[in-house]
Amino acid sequence: MSSTAPGLFTRRATGLVREGRTRDALFYNLLWSSVGLTFAFFWLFAAFYPGANALLSFLIAAGLGLPGAFLYAMLTQLMPRTGGDYVFNSRSLHPSIGFAGNFSYSFWLAVVIGVYTTYIAAYGFGAFGRTMAGFGAGGGWLSFGDWFSTDWGLFITGTVALLLSAAIFALGGMRLFFKIQAVCFGLYLLGAILVPVFVGLLTSHGTFVANFNDYASHFGVQDAAAKLASSARDAGFAPASFSLETTIRAVSVFWFIFGFIFSSNYFAGEIRLAKRTHIYSMPGAVVLAVLVLLCLVPTYTHVIGYDFSSQLGLADPTAYGFTAGAPAYPELIGIAAGSPVIGIIAIGGFTIGLLTWLPQTLMLVSRNMFAWSFDNIMPSKLSYVDPRSRSPLIAICVMLVLSIISTAIYSFTDWFSSITALLGLTLPLFVTAIAGTLLPFRQKALVESSPYSGKVLGIPVLTAVGTLAILGFGGAMAILMWDPGSGTSLSENAPKVALVAGVYAAAMAIWFASRAIRKQQGIDVDLAYQELPAA
Amino acid sequence: MGLFKRSNDKGNGGSGSASAVRLYYASDIHGSAVLWRKFLNAASAYKAEVLVMGGDVTGKVVVPLVERDDGFHVDLFGQRSVVSGEALEEMEHKIRNNGMYPHRMSGEELERVAALSEEEREGWFADVMRTTFDGWLALADDRLDPATRCFVMPGNDDPAGVDRAIEEAVKVEACDGRIVRFGDYTMISLGYANRTPFDSPRELTEEDLLARVVAMAEEVGDMTRCIFNLHVPPYESSLDSAPALDENLAVVMSGSAPKMIGVGSTAVREAIERFQPLLSLHGHVHESPGAEHIGRTLSINPGSDYHTGRISGCLIQLRGDSVRHQFVTG
Repeated sequence: MSSTAPGLFTRRATGLVREGRTRDALFYNLLWSSVGLTFAFFWLFAAFYPGANALLSFLIAAGLGLPGAFLYAMLTQLMPRTGGDYVFNSRSLHPSIGFAGNFSYSFWLAVVIGVYTTYIAAYGFGAFGRTMAGFGAGGGWLSFGDWFSTDWGLFITGTVALLLSAAIFALGGMRLFFKIQAVCFGLYLLGAILVPVFVGLLTSHGTFVANFNDYASHFGVQDAAAKLASSARDAGFAPASFSLETTIRAVSVFWFIFGFIFSSNYFAGEIRLAKRTHIYSMPGAVVLAVLVLLCLVPTYTHVIGYDFSSQLGLADPTAYGFTAGAPAYPELIGIAAGSPVIGIIAIGGFTIGLLTWLPQTLMLVSRNMFAWSFDNIMPSKLSYVDPRSRSPLIAICVMLVLSIISTAIYSFTDWFSSITALLGLTLPLFVTAIAGTLLPFRQKALVESSPYSGKVLGIPVLTAVGTLAILGFGGAMAILMWDPGSGTSLSENAPKVALVAGVYAAAMAIWFASRAIRKQQGIDVDLAYQELPAA
Repeated sequence: MGLFKRSNDKGNGGSGSASAVRLYYASDIHGSAVLWRKFLNAASAYKAEVLVMGGDVTGKVVVPLVERDDGFHVDLFGQRSVVSGEALEEMEHKIRNNGMYPHRMSGEELERVAALSEEEREGWFADVMRTTFDGWLALADDRLDPATRCFVMPGNDDPAGVDRAIEEAVKVEACDGRIVRFGDYTMISLGYANRTPFDSPRELTEEDLLARVVAMAEEVGDMTRCIFNLHVPPYESSLDSAPALDENLAVVMSGSAPKMIGVGSTAVREAIERFQPLLSLHGHVHESPGAEHIGRTLSINPGSDYHTGRISGCLIQLRGDSVRHQFVTG
């Protein structure tokens, strides 16, 4: 017997204390949110946001995401371990809406995976080769590195990375994945976050510029920093003073972190005791991400500078010797340190972080597919689990094919920008916020029996938090549809916005079509969601 | 053993005919009064002729309502409150719907229970749970249609008194450790689990589990229309994945995520592989719902989300030697 909280008696029973530690859930959310990749985005895109204040941008993004993090935490505590927003939305709104949100989210994850695979090629392996050449290892390394930034280099490298990710599950299953992941996250934290912060703290901008010139000299260009500045000026660069407008527009980049920082749904305990892992870990991860960026942004700005990053975004890379394209922050950190070892640690950590995200995403989407199949919306084959590897191999294969298509799109076309998927990924969150707002009215008994049965100024607490989340997610969607850099602005990318809505609508149509097909097969899909009388 | 509690064949034909039975299976409701009522209502809602509850019917937490001068003091979800009158009944309702047991007691009784040894307190728990469970069985007697067969067995988390309560019920039938029949089908049941880190009330070694299942299966003989109703799922299947736990019963992390391991029974797997029944039904591992074929046997675990007020179950259509299933969450 144990007594887990004042006034409670618990008995010996399985599963009683299976609640994830808050610390673990915090890190899970932080690592899933791709702080490193987002940081790379921002500086690669700095030229598109003249006068933006990065600190203010990410704080606004965090502010928009915080109510959603609280809402997800509350909903997860209310309905732990039941499939995330698929369940929230199905119960509060309609099964077709729950499915559409989950399908849409999975679709856009399949799209965004092409960003990861091509960044692995260009800013991982490509940067590695260029770093070796930049520190004097020979021109062969430059050719090697530059190949990864070619169309075929991006596609082949990305596809191989995806196949290796899938092979992890096919050959070693979840156990092998977890072993690899444990090591990879340590290297990611070291290379993509800690090393850049320390290099930024200990190195001056002057030293960086001198090292940059030395580095580029190995590519046959002398005084590269001056040539970079000249090329950027020709392209229209001018130092910009603070602009609130571009600062708000730049929120769309940092939304890559703060819109999706509550993925620790799995850390649910069986009994809603006083311990509130989710309430601490989801909003807590927002705070932790802010702290990480509060370290990264000033130190990076100190050593590289906003203007230098903007120049890299505007200038012709051949003008300063970087023929394959502008360098991302891990390569610049290596240059700033004047050390190939530091450079390789930073590039390696960044690349490993992206590589780890691939199997995580394959797994996440395959779990969604499993849930659809479980409810008879999709063929039962999708829920097949290989007995040897204990992995849903068919679902993983489907996601693998979609991911390779996405890699091809990002390698050979410019249809999508790096953050185009954000609008599609945010729409389901917005719908979840509506579902959370309505839940106290749609599932009265569930909410009244929960720790969130209270009211604020006469409004159910879930409704109040849900309303703030609607404003947060809605605000983020408004920025994404306003900012031309997002790739989904109404003014410049109206077809992409229509695609986002179209995917959602198509998913709803798929649900109704599946229901009709199953009915012909003698299966009543509605039974899967039908509430049994509790009287 | 041959312990047929009732021989209630419904005359749906002999062994060669294509008789049909619609069965609803759920498990692991862990003291949730809402889920018990939904389980009983599933018979009419899903037009199921047979209901099977696969174990772990009792809860894990008693919430004391301590009587003081100003009302009953209660601590729920970390929030302390004082309630009386209607609010007291509402609070008790809220506690029950969360799968916990409200228990009115004096300050002296609270101190007495707090001072009990572990074994003594398990006994006190059993008494509290038995009172509630008796009420559940009375509700079943009141609700169930006479034509509906309703089998309930305890699971590894259920204390000893649960068996006796089921035995004494009128319409609910005991099946644990027995062979029962409905239509053309035979079902063997076992609520015990293999060893867990929690030292729950009904655990056996793998050897003992295998011996019990084998004894019943050998007595049945023909497996073509036999159902194994075994609380614990087979080891190394898609039905037995749960987070690994450390010595403090905390989830073991691997990288950024919980380390998942198989916690099912090797004995159950061996029995299924050896006897190849038509169907096997399992609970126990809440977070691993699914269906999987082990040879010709369809093995099912509907999982459990008992704390959400929704019952995870599976509708099973038995027709001759074939079986179709559909997961339902009610």
